Amino acid sequence: MTSGAAPSDDALLVLFANGDGQAAAELTTRLGPRAFGTAFRVLGNRAEAEDVAQEAMVRLWRIAPKWEQGKAKVSTWLYRVVMNLCIDLKRRQRGGHVDLDAVPEPEDPARSAAETLQERARWDALQGALMQLPERQRQAVVLRHIEELTNPEIAGVMDISVEAVESLTARGKRALAKALAGRREELGYGDG
Amino acid sequence: MAEHGKDMDLDDLFAMARDERPEMPAGLQSAILADAAAVQAGWTTPQPEPLRGGFWLQLRQAVGGWPSLGGMVAASAAGLWIGFTGPDFLPDPVTLISASAEEEFVPYDSYDLAVLLAEDTQ
Repeated sequence: MTSGAAPSDDALLVLFANGDGQAAAELTTRLGPRAFGTAFRVLGNRAEAEDVAQEAMVRLWRIAPKWEQGKAKVSTWLYRVVMNLCIDLKRRQRGGHVDLDAVPEPEDPARSAAETLQERARWDALQGALMQLPERQRQAVVLRHIEELTNPEIAGVMDISVEAVESLTARGKRALAKALAGRREELGYGDG
Repeated sequence: MAEHGKDMDLDDLFAMARDERPEMPAGLQSAILADAAAVQAGWTTPQPEPLRGGFWLQLRQAVGGWPSLGGMVAASAAGLWIGFTGPDFLPDPVTLISASAEEEFVPYDSYDLAVLLAEDTQ
């Protein structure tokens, strides 16, 4: 890790498998926030998102010695694990008769005090509207519009066709627009 | 027009969400790094090779592989051969066993010793 160009996630994973501790720190910096952020957007619960992100990263560490370079993107693999862990968590909760979608979205304590009230209101409004979407739509919308994955990448993560991804994201966007329609003025978007 | 406006609002919200990703809690970061160190430590600590396979394979592994097993077989065969065709200067073990079984005379048994002493004094 002394060369000028930043090593790829693949290369870092190989270094990690060879015992390089610094590679773990670099991968955590790159991938940890994505895993946590995605889980937080999908689950709407900070503590659960932390658990999911930690578990996903442990699975990444464990698979490192068997990782085949160039076969898949590390980040795509991680998104897939995160999404599967989110689904598993929801299933377990449904088994225990807990409907997390009905729980109001939590406030993110990490946000700085300097943020305006309107920004906070927009943040919360988006999260609240996301939580009203069916689970698969929410996953597709988060991956497409917040994590900025391509449709084929999302298809790989969610194990569905590209057409299904397009359908999920289109329906998700429409549902979000509808959920937020009554709050446009409140969120500072005027009458448009 | 209204639909277009809603799309723009959504795109604006998505852009805000991308710019302001929820920060990873410090505790989570250290937990992830601790997990990474633990996983790496598991690779570097030599683990004893577990015994696998059937009984004979496990036996072979337990005694130290083919060379040890070969030595054991050779030693056993030599012992067997010596047992059947031993050198002439050594007593036949089979005769010894039958002789000891038949011989009930114990020279220093108290009764026999008394008889011997009595004979000496006569």
